[in-house]
Amino acid sequence: MAGSQTALREANRVMVVTAVRRHGGLTQVELAGATGLSPATVSSIVRELQGAGVVDVKTTVRSGRRAQLVTLAHRPGLAVGVHIGARHLRIAVADSALEVLAEQTLPLPFEHRVDTSLDRMALLLVDLLDRVGASMSEILGVGIGLPAPVDTATGMVSVPGILRGWDDVPVAQVLAKRLGVPVFVDNDANLGALAESRLGAARPYRDAVYVLASHGTGAGVVLAGHLHRGFAGTAGEIGHVQVDAGGDICYCGSRGCLNTVVGAGPLLASLRASRGALTLRDIVSLAGEGDPGCSQVIADAGATIGAVVSGLAMAVNPQCVVVGGELAETGELLLGPMREAIRRRVLLNHIAPLEVFGAELAGRAEVVGALVLVMESTDVLTVFDGAVLANDG
Amino acid sequence: MTGPARMPQPLLSLRQVTKRFGAVEALVGFDLELKAHEVVALVGDNGAGKSTAAKLVAGVLQPDAGFIEIDGEPVTIPSPAAAHGLGVATVFQHLALCDNLSVTANIFLGRELRVRPGGPLDEERMVLTAQSILRDLTAGIPSVRAQVRTLSAGQRQAVAIARTLTSRPRIVVLDEPTAALSVVQTAEVLMLIERLREMGLGVILISHNMTDVRAVADRIVVLRHGRINGEFDAGTASHEEILASITGLSTAAGPSTSFTLPTAGRSS
Repeated sequence: MAGSQTALREANRVMVVTAVRRHGGLTQVELAGATGLSPATVSSIVRELQGAGVVDVKTTVRSGRRAQLVTLAHRPGLAVGVHIGARHLRIAVADSALEVLAEQTLPLPFEHRVDTSLDRMALLLVDLLDRVGASMSEILGVGIGLPAPVDTATGMVSVPGILRGWDDVPVAQVLAKRLGVPVFVDNDANLGALAESRLGAARPYRDAVYVLASHGTGAGVVLAGHLHRGFAGTAGEIGHVQVDAGGDICYCGSRGCLNTVVGAGPLLASLRASRGALTLRDIVSLAGEGDPGCSQVIADAGATIGAVVSGLAMAVNPQCVVVGGELAETGELLLGPMREAIRRRVLLNHIAPLEVFGAELAGRAEVVGALVLVMESTDVLTVFDGAVLANDG
Repeated sequence: MTGPARMPQPLLSLRQVTKRFGAVEALVGFDLELKAHEVVALVGDNGAGKSTAAKLVAGVLQPDAGFIEIDGEPVTIPSPAAAHGLGVATVFQHLALCDNLSVTANIFLGRELRVRPGGPLDEERMVLTAQSILRDLTAGIPSVRAQVRTLSAGQRQAVAIARTLTSRPRIVVLDEPTAALSVVQTAEVLMLIERLREMGLGVILISHNMTDVRAVADRIVVLRHGRINGEFDAGTASHEEILASITGLSTAAGPSTSFTLPTAGRSS
């Protein structure tokens, strides 16, 4: 029966590692509770895992008592990735192998304020470090994705009006001063492109376009394996390509931009009369449940975005178009009409057809891209292949 | 079509509800509607009537005048137990958890599951149910066997919310759920509120923190001296508009007589 004993022990080891990964860090007592294993078993498994370099054990204090905090062993140097979206802030702490140690999402208000959001981000960062038992001194850098074009030299939004209230704030400088670590700021779609090209669906391709279809639409362009930002960081800003010459005025000041047609505001407004007040997430989940009105809205958005992406595809001739963001969570509902619109307009060549598919790091591409940005901007030996990014699925 | 029918009748309506304490008008002619799958926030200064409204719905107080309807049927809510029976669960600011008991024991406190009526406690079923409720909430609580005293303030809030879910309510009232929490704990609680909404519940959220309220609410109702002074769509209303309503700079009918509100943040 030695075999089944070994298998049981292996299963218990997996259970302990899974629990630590899910919570960032747990005391041995909490681990016993979380896994249902006896404290003695947990203690011996932890000692074994520690010996194998899988976990670290530190002494900490819980409710006034000394306790043994178990965290995943991380390689020296931590990266922090942040995605500040229209209505959510997502933050992740990872080691230099891009293994995510802790992650948290914070809902944000409509037109959130730059000072409040950056303050909350800094406090979240400190709390997350605490959760994984790490200190500020271990941080190599913080990468931040913003839903607007960014001048990466200064870390400022490069087109005024697109992200209200953020225009005059040198985000990188403000945070670098406060946190005392290097801060890198980029456009969120660019970071999504970086993540998908290094670790996701675009990994086999040298030339790729990533489309972020969220509250607004943007794109990131990877040429010959390098992220192409353009002179002022506005490359791939397809949300501001005109699609309706008689349309509404956009935040950017132009008329009839793609975002005035497929942005969250117009999508929700088109459903308000028939369905009442919804959120973007509601449209996505209702469309997934087969709601005809919401499905129609998503399909039309796909066709409209596809027409604009085809122009970008003509300009850069990518091998693939990867689509992420909330709208892409509807899968073929969005991708089908989008693929058709792109294929109809892009020159067919007999070398390789243009592939259009969903993001592999769905929902996390931007925050993972922020982590990649830190590692690529920092002088550390990094290995991207084999990087374990699974954080509890 | 499998999607839930939208624009349904409200889950809960309060119509022209008035509550007085002697000369104090806690709530006057108060109207409120709450639908399934919706988060409605009540905001306002201290003494504006927010907690009174919550207590009326929770069955702690009874209105002096007006009606309360659930699913369009007029109801009286004479006690918290009656509220429970009607599918209304309330988490008050003071969570009333027992520090020395486990997460599971707190979740089932006073409603323990038994193997058979009058028989011994069904520990295993309670542990499994507690785990499944916390998993549905995606709450970050490591162990349901842990004593509540060892939990963070955000995790305690999750336990208090989980406790209300054992009775399968359709309406959850949360009174200041993010007061005195750190940012990461606030993030956890706000994600819990989003989760309750996703689960199709109607949520009444009472809070002072405008950032938190605007982050998760669908509608924001402003109370001022016991009366509704404004109602806003959280997806489009600015911070300034809501503040103006709370402070009385604008009224339900529009900006008040002597002041005009600079449209800061909206135009510039």
